[in-house]
Amino acid sequence: MTYAWVDHTAELELRINAPTEAGVFEDALRAFGELAGDEPAAEWVAFDVELEAPDRAALLVRWLDELVFRAETEDLVPEEVERLELGDGRLAATVRAARGAPRHLVKGVTYSGLAFEREDGGYRATVVLDV
Amino acid sequence: MSEATRTAARLRRVDENLWEIPAAARPDMRVPARVFADRRLLDEIAGDRSLEQLQNVATLPGIRDAALAMPDIHQGYGFPVGGVAATEPPEGVVSPGGVGYDINCGVRLLALPLTAAELGARTEPLVHEISRRVPVGAGHGGALRLKGRALDEVLVQGPGALLAEHGIGTQADVEHTESAGCLAGAEPQMVSERARARGSDQLGTLGSGNHFLEVQRVAAILDPAAAEAFGLRADQVTVLIHSGSRGLGHQVCTDHVRRIDAVVGRYGITLPDRQLACAPLGSPEGRAYLGAMAAAANFAWANRATLAHRVREAITQVLGAAVAAGTRQVYDVAHNVAKMERHGGRELCVHRKGATRAFPPGSPDIPAFYRTAGQPVFIPGSMGTSSYVLAGRSGAMERSFGTTCHGAGRRMSRTGARREITGAELRRRLTAQGIVVRCPSNRGLAEEAPFAYKDVDHVVAVVERAGLAGRVAQLAPLGVVKG
Repeated sequence: MTYAWVDHTAELELRINAPTEAGVFEDALRAFGELAGDEPAAEWVAFDVELEAPDRAALLVRWLDELVFRAETEDLVPEEVERLELGDGRLAATVRAARGAPRHLVKGVTYSGLAFEREDGGYRATVVLDV
Repeated sequence: MSEATRTAARLRRVDENLWEIPAAARPDMRVPARVFADRRLLDEIAGDRSLEQLQNVATLPGIRDAALAMPDIHQGYGFPVGGVAATEPPEGVVSPGGVGYDINCGVRLLALPLTAAELGARTEPLVHEISRRVPVGAGHGGALRLKGRALDEVLVQGPGALLAEHGIGTQADVEHTESAGCLAGAEPQMVSERARARGSDQLGTLGSGNHFLEVQRVAAILDPAAAEAFGLRADQVTVLIHSGSRGLGHQVCTDHVRRIDAVVGRYGITLPDRQLACAPLGSPEGRAYLGAMAAAANFAWANRATLAHRVREAITQVLGAAVAAGTRQVYDVAHNVAKMERHGGRELCVHRKGATRAFPPGSPDIPAFYRTAGQPVFIPGSMGTSSYVLAGRSGAMERSFGTTCHGAGRRMSRTGARREITGAELRRRLTAQGIVVRCPSNRGLAEEAPFAYKDVDHVVAVVERAGLAGRVAQLAPLGVVKG
């Protein structure tokens, strides 16, 4: 695990260190799954995601936005990334998820203090979730 | 020295309840940053990045007079929570982050026609029945599911549409609501399908986090004349409802922050924090957001109206139809919203994020029946502590664009609160205090522990001394329902 929830007065701040760009997205999914799901899965499903954004940081926001939306409207708790393709300003993925009773804690994925940068041969990302 | 400490060191005292960071403190600040607080609260405020965030707000194009913070200020995202910014067209901007994801999160107070002594042993059955009728925690599950035209009517009219079409609430409830529960200029077509999908079955749901529903008693009358105007008397039972626009509003903010983030550069705007994404008030992006925000605000008022309806159903079940019929809505206030208002002869867009409108006696924008007392304001405490009913004062119009605080204000992170206490232990302590607790999540309960918040008595004392609002009544908790 290369992610951590950092203390923030009111919200949740997620910091990720990963060896690859794809690893940042995979860890973000695991972190959100941990946050949303603490109930046993009733059913396993897979869904495809295609997203576009002007930069990697905004793409990370969109990725988490998508997971928040699926949790809230389809009761899906993301478990792992089965396929992930990163292009210039775009992402295509297949996500394996458990249908259950996720906590619907996250209101929005913010751009506040948003970062997605190369660091020490890997990548570091920070994103704050409004809860 | 941390950045937060360096920022706090720039504060200069204006008076005992107001502090200022001059505009010259940073080259990008257009106006000063001012904080309503005393020294004790400043020490807590300096512990996080809220003052830095307030300085960031002071850089917004078209901001007037000062970026303001109420004494319950704490670190948020983009804007601090407890922040106020007024911008003036044509260069003035609107920033969705200056309203927040929970558009028109707010508070509604109901007053029951009986005393706590008369309620007696029926407190626990009442709290339990409310918890059975009000879905909490999960994002959906309300009995009222609206789509298409029916949802559009709510987005345009707010609770008035529920009254006409679904028999929810009363005309008196609508009249006892800020802006009569309906922000003008709502544009349902600016609310995306995703937002509709998140919100279509969420009317009448409480949500999670700091949202709650509390059964209380009037523990003290502090301004008898205003209390009489508000229909409050000693030992009366009240119900405070704290919720917002649920997933619909959250998605409206998400959609429009993204849309505006993409065009900030086109308007020549440079920002110190990307979450401050903003566009001129008259721009297509700014107008689109204002139309969608108004729709989400109306949805939030409809949500609290539906929650109040469920509370009245529970009252009917436990206390009888006559008590339910005699249950009045004192008022309903928004604390996350942007509104066009006149201040100092100027037409301004006043962003309030975690801050409450507090118009004084005589204001034409408050209902005639409250015009001698001032606008009611409700300040929830934290579980186990008092809440307050305030009334707007003239100082608010002179110093804070007609605004006061919205709560106690967090001082400790959620993980920090969980390190200090378990949900089970907190539940035991509250029960020992005689407070009935209904919360399905021990984790969620611990995160909202009373010590995670500032001292509400102290916060309210500051806004009173600053002349923003005056205390009318103190409310003590009898039972709480949380998500």
